[in-house]
This record gives sequence, C-alpha cells and structure tokens, in this order.
Amino acid sequence: MSILDSFTRIRLIAGTTFLEAVRQKFFNSLLIISIALVGSSTFFQQFDFGTGELKFITDFGFGALFFFGSILSITATTQLFFYEMENRTALTMLAKPVYKLEFLAGKFLGAHLLMLSFTFVITLVLSAILYWRDTALVARLGDEVILDGPLVRYGDVFLFGFLQWMKFGILAAMTLFVASFSNTNLYTIIVSFFLLIICQLQYIARDAYSGMEAGWERFLVLGLGLIFPNFQLFNIGDQLVFDVDQALPLSTVLQLVGYGVIYTVAFLLLAQVNFRRREI
Amino acid sequence: MSLLQHPLTLRLRRILFVLLILSLLGLLTRPLEGPAWRVVKSGQPEMNLEAIEGALGQGLVVGVLGGFRAILADFLWIRTNTIWERRDRVKMDAMVRLVTTLDPRPEFFWINGSRMIAYDVPNWRIREEGGYSEVPEARQRAIDLEQSHQAFDLLDEALEFHPDRAKLYLEKGQIYLNRLKDDANAAKWFLQASKQADAPYYAARIYAELLRKQGKNAEAYTYLKDLHRELPNVPYAQKGIILERIRELENTLEIPFWERFQAVVEPVLEAPRKAPAFDVPEPHDHAGHSH
Repeated sequence: MSILDSFTRIRLIAGTTFLEAVRQKFFNSLLIISIALVGSSTFFQQFDFGTGELKFITDFGFGALFFFGSILSITATTQLFFYEMENRTALTMLAKPVYKLEFLAGKFLGAHLLMLSFTFVITLVLSAILYWRDTALVARLGDEVILDGPLVRYGDVFLFGFLQWMKFGILAAMTLFVASFSNTNLYTIIVSFFLLIICQLQYIARDAYSGMEAGWERFLVLGLGLIFPNFQLFNIGDQLVFDVDQALPLSTVLQLVGYGVIYTVAFLLLAQVNFRRREI
Repeated sequence: MSLLQHPLTLRLRRILFVLLILSLLGLLTRPLEGPAWRVVKSGQPEMNLEAIEGALGQGLVVGVLGGFRAILADFLWIRTNTIWERRDRVKMDAMVRLVTTLDPRPEFFWINGSRMIAYDVPNWRIREEGGYSEVPEARQRAIDLEQSHQAFDLLDEALEFHPDRAKLYLEKGQIYLNRLKDDANAAKWFLQASKQADAPYYAARIYAELLRKQGKNAEAYTYLKDLHRELPNVPYAQKGIILERIRELENTLEIPFWERFQAVVEPVLEAPRKAPAFDVPEPHDHAGHSH
C-alpha cells in the first residue's frame, strides 16, 4: 500500500465524515444561532457604553465565532467519532485494509472541514455587516472627516477566522485524543471542555506565578504551561481589523500557524497511540 | 503478575508517557510561542486572576473565555447601576472592579465608577452613620478622603491603560476640587489634563482660575498670557474670557499701563478646529458636571 493510497483512504473517510456532519441538526442549529447572533450585533450595540460601533460589532462577531466554534468543534468531533463506534461501522471499516491512523486522520479532517465551513460563513456574515455599517457611517459623516483609507480592514476579519480555525484544529485533535481512551460521548465532551478552559487560562497562571521564588507551585505552573497549549495566543482580535498602531506582523501569523500545526499533529499521533490499543 | 505488568502500573506508565511527550512538545514550541506571545500580549487588555474569579462568581467565565468580554462588561455595568440604586456599596465596588477588569478599554466605566466611589459612597456612609448634622466634620472629612483615595486608585489604574486621555486627569482634578476642596492638588491635575492632546480648552482656564484662588496671581497672569498667545482664535477657545481675566489680574497686580499685555487681533477662523468631543456633556454620564 503506497502513501498515495493512504491519502486516498483518508480523503474518502474525511469526505464521508464531512457530509455526515453537515447533515447533522446540531451543526445546522448552531450555525443558524451564530449567524443570528452576529446579525443582531447592531441591536446589542445599544447596550454599549463606550466602544465604537464597528469595534463593538467586530468584538461581538469574533466572540460568537470563538464561543460557538469551540462548542461545535468539541461536540461535532466527539459525535462523529462515537457515531462510528456505537453503530459498529468503525469495525466494518477497520476490517478492511485501513489503518487506525488513517481512520483518525479522516475523522479529524472531516471535522476540521466542517469547522472551515462554519468559520467561513461566520466571517462572511460579519464582514457583510461591517461593510453595511461602514458604508452607512461614511455616508452619515459625509465631508466631516477625511479618511486616509478604509475604516475596516476586511482581510483581517478573514485572517482572524483563519487563525481561529487553526485553534479549532488543535481543539478537535485534543478531543480525538480524549475520545481515543474514553468510553462515552459525555465524558469526552466534558473533559474536552475542561481542557479548553485550561488551555485558554494557563497563561494567567503562568503570569501569576512567574514572579514566585522556586517552590513546588512554581514547578507545577511551569509544567502546566509546558503540557497544555496556550490558546490565548490566538486571541488577536484587538490587533486586527482597525487601523491600530501595531498591526500583527506576518512573522507572528506564521509562528501561530506553525504552533497550531505542530500541536494538531502531536495530539493526533497521541490519539493514535491510545486508539491502536483500543478494542472496538 | 509482576508489579510492572499490573494494569494500574501500565496505565500510569501511559499517562507519564503522554505527559512527557507533551512537556517535550511544550519545550519544542517555545521558540514559536515566546515571540508570538510577546506580540499578542502587548496588544490585548490584560486578564488576571481577579477578573476570572469575579467572572466565575457571576457565572460568566465561559462567556469571558468566549470573547464576549465587551458585551458582558456592558451588561454587568447595567447591573452595577441597579446595585448603585440599592446603595450596596461593597457589591458596587466589586462590580466596578470586575467591569473595568473585564473591559478596560472604555473610559466610561473608569470615570463613572470613580464618580460613584468618590461622590455617592461618602454620602451613603455619612447617612448610615446618622446624617450630615450628626456626624462630626472630622469624620465626614475622613470618609471623603478614604473614598476619594479609592477613586484615585481606580483612576490611576485607568491611566495605565489610557495614559494620554485628558478626561481621566480631569476627573482626578474634579474630585480634588469638588469633593476634597483641595485647590492645590486640583490645579496639578487640571494642568496635567491641559497638556494632553485631546484636552478641552477649559482645562487650562480652570488651572489658571485655581492659581488665582490660591493667591498665585502673578503665576496665573504669566500662564494666561502664554495661553492667550498659544490658542487659536476659535469660539471654543474663549479667548475673550481669557483676555478679560488677564485684565482683571493686571488691575489686581497693578501692572503699569505700558507693561500690560498686548493682545494680537486675529480674525476668527471660519472652519474652527473641531472641539474635543467632551466639550459637550455626555448624555449618559453618571454625574454630569458643568465647567
């Protein structure tokens, strides 16, 4: 069996997984809720106490993308994995010349493609709303202000979406890793959510204890920082979209992409280590 | 079955293996994470343990993690106002801290939070202790000082996020002036405010008036003369009022006629420099003050 055949099998499993996922009611409901929420950001703006209109809409959209994206990434990956286990279709598939790693990679890619669709739709809706409000704002201000360039950098909206998608990749791979040794759907979802919270907050612990003198707490926090990936790295919304003094350098974007890819591959390989021993 | 083959030992070995791999991975990715983290961290409002604890207490941690910090801070601010109406000062103080920690970007939270702490809470405390007629002046003064210093702490924190915003310097000056009746310290802060790029024209005028109030007429005279020369001739700059005050000071200081200030007559600019936004009072300010 050549590598090319292996890629073909992964592509086939990923394609089927993606189609299954898109047909899920959960995905469609979550997508509709997210679109509605991003669409209603202009309504929520009336509760705002000081941020500019466009900034508020952007924050709100980015928030919705991360919040619902994280939920979808964890639940969809879990459901897609356990669906095969519970219906015994995994058994049929693995009885054929399909490696367990190919199965896992296919499942991951299917779920990740789903996240790509979700992220793309949300960023598209957010960009459309920003464009609508941007145009209205410029028309209202008329000649009062002279603009050096566009108010919103739309490319940055998509860049943020892309980096969030990278983060969802780590999250999905991490969920697969948990699923590889877990027996139930619920356990996988709960543990994955806890992992998400730890990864999102570990930098605070690191910051808080960095000034401490050597002690077991310091080593514990250092270990925590090493074991769990830092998801806060991808929280770059404040540095994007608007004409800020320090735009995000390309080197940082590349570093974030590299970081995301390394962790995704590592968690997939760790999932494979567990899954290889698992009896289906 | 040997100890090494025991299922528990095997499981423990597997866990240790995973932890070891992840730790190595952490070390391997440090060259990527370190520089990226420095760039990302410099551009985002800091989230600390205090904020997380507060958000946890409000059941909001998932929302905070999810990036809805701005909207959650807005909703918590509405709740802060409900608590303010109930005059629950301990909870109000905690809520102001939580809101400003969650979203330190809008000045609105800092300014109105400090106003609540410096102006409203002393009134509540004095009333709790029996009212203005019962509580001795010294005690009232002590309460005012204590609350004002809490408000100053909040504003100092705000200045770490917005070091060049005149509004925050003005707020400190206003508290010294209106609550503590401390003209000398108020003058310092009005001067600081007037030096900021977005300073309203009145900040410098109030500074000069405070110098006069302290009896520093000569200093006020020199300052106003310089101010009159520097300001553009636009309606918001109120150069007429400044000239009037210069003349008053010349009379007070008995400046000889031939040494008096010669104002250059300039045409009023057709398209005046746009007045700073807060020359106009904000519609939803917590405690509006006229200048």
